[in-house]
Amino acid sequence: MTAMVKISDLRKIYDGGFEALKGVSLEIREGEILALLGPNGAGKTTLISAVCGIAVPTSGTISVGGHDTITDYRAARQLIGLVPQEINLEPFQKVMDAVRFSRGLFGCKRDDALLERILRQLSLWDKRNAKVNELSGGMKRRVLIAKALSHEPRVLFLDEPTAGVDVELRRDMWDTVAQLKADGVTIILTTHYIEEAEAIADRVGVIAKGELLLVEEKAALMARMGRKELIVDLQEPVAEIPEALAAYDLRLIEDGRALVYTYDTTADRTGITNLLAEIAAAGLTLRDIRTHQSSLEDIFVGLVKEDAA
Amino acid sequence: MNLQAVRSIYYFEMARFFRTFLQSFISPVISTSLYFVVFGTAIGSRIDQVEGVSYGAFIVPGLIMLTVMTQGISNASFGIYFPKFIGTIYEQLSAPVNFLEIVLGYAGAAATKALFIGLVILGTSAFFVDLSIQHPLAMAGFLILTCISFALFGFIIGIWAKNFEQLQLIPLLIVTPLVFLGGSFYSISMLPPIWQTITLFNPVVYLISGFRWAFFGTADVPVGLSLLAIAGFCALCMAVVWVIFRTGWRLRS
Repeated sequence: MTAMVKISDLRKIYDGGFEALKGVSLEIREGEILALLGPNGAGKTTLISAVCGIAVPTSGTISVGGHDTITDYRAARQLIGLVPQEINLEPFQKVMDAVRFSRGLFGCKRDDALLERILRQLSLWDKRNAKVNELSGGMKRRVLIAKALSHEPRVLFLDEPTAGVDVELRRDMWDTVAQLKADGVTIILTTHYIEEAEAIADRVGVIAKGELLLVEEKAALMARMGRKELIVDLQEPVAEIPEALAAYDLRLIEDGRALVYTYDTTADRTGITNLLAEIAAAGLTLRDIRTHQSSLEDIFVGLVKEDAA
Repeated sequence: MNLQAVRSIYYFEMARFFRTFLQSFISPVISTSLYFVVFGTAIGSRIDQVEGVSYGAFIVPGLIMLTVMTQGISNASFGIYFPKFIGTIYEQLSAPVNFLEIVLGYAGAAATKALFIGLVILGTSAFFVDLSIQHPLAMAGFLILTCISFALFGFIIGIWAKNFEQLQLIPLLIVTPLVFLGGSFYSISMLPPIWQTITLFNPVVYLISGFRWAFFGTADVPVGLSLLAIAGFCALCMAVVWVIFRTGWRLRS
């Protein structure tokens, strides 16, 4: 796959001297969903702002679809749709007018059939003549998405698209994103919600303090860093772990009612069969067994902590 | 040139005007009528004629200028400040438009509104006084140039302002006094000699004088000088807008 967005050594120092981005390089492939994870103030929004033309980079280059965002900004921006983090909407405008305005700003001729399709897809068609300030928060957010899609962008930036959105709406949003991906749109989303990245992203980037700590395939990342835990529930609680099981580095939890064994899913031998046999040999009776895969959240927290250390 | 974008911004701004059309239309009619009642009838009855023109008619050009200047500024400054304030400016900044197109859209709409209101006042005046315009083309030229210049000036204020207070600051503290002291309601020949000289440092004097010349053929300062003043002010505003465009001042972080 070719690179749709190419960011090279991007630095951004704000007027006050704050260095928001410290030389970020990143290639985003055409048609993928990239999730950028990071704590507040990590530089996620600055990165998006620099690509979209809202912030001027201090140094470094950005190209979108092969067009430099400074020297060939018209062609570059034509390809980009941006859904900002804040709900920035003109309150007294009707939904249809708002979307029409956005399309016009991008130099596109009026195309009400296309706008109808977009509004229907986002379940906003019934509200097309409603004023923006009459809509619920979730609907306003969808208006922002409709505006961003009005000129049929090839790259869509979603800056925290599901912040403050209820669970049902979040699932709808994910479906919309999946639909856009199916249409071939490249999607970059920033999020606080790890499960969001886990649910919809192809690749995950972790950003903290203006630096990109890693970008990796989500599956590979989870496999590489994913640790799995086997939890063995015991019939009778034990006071301490039997000597015979010392080699397994077990932990005792739930007042001695369960043993936790951590293992690497990618290792040749996980050691589970032997462990279970030795637990039986040590005279303990199993009541149940459970496994738990560490989530992206665990990985993320680990990475950011490591970086802070 | 992204003309579609210019059109979109222009229509968007005009839509705001039409949403409050009654207010946009009625308020200048009422305020003009009040000026005529107070200045034209109450005070004007004691002033016979100024430079061969009845006082009621004499104040018409100044009245139009006063409104056109303040409306041009307030419409353009609010037009660009409001998106900055509520954050919707991100769209204009991330769209494939350059600053010139943004200015054309906002200042163009503000100038149109000011022109419309100027014409409403002219029409209202005709109900109160006998008006004959000696140089209609020059009148239209001065009026349009003033609308454009002050819309540009308002645009600059809107970009500069960081809060609503600053938005009001220049119109209230500088423009309104200059317009009132610029011969809107009197001929500067009515002032004592020292004040006549001081008044010549007020740029608005040249605008009102030229505009009044277009109506009645008499002026406080040579009409060529008036034309130069308004053209110069327009050029100055364009230059400042150009600098803002080059630097992205107060727009792009």
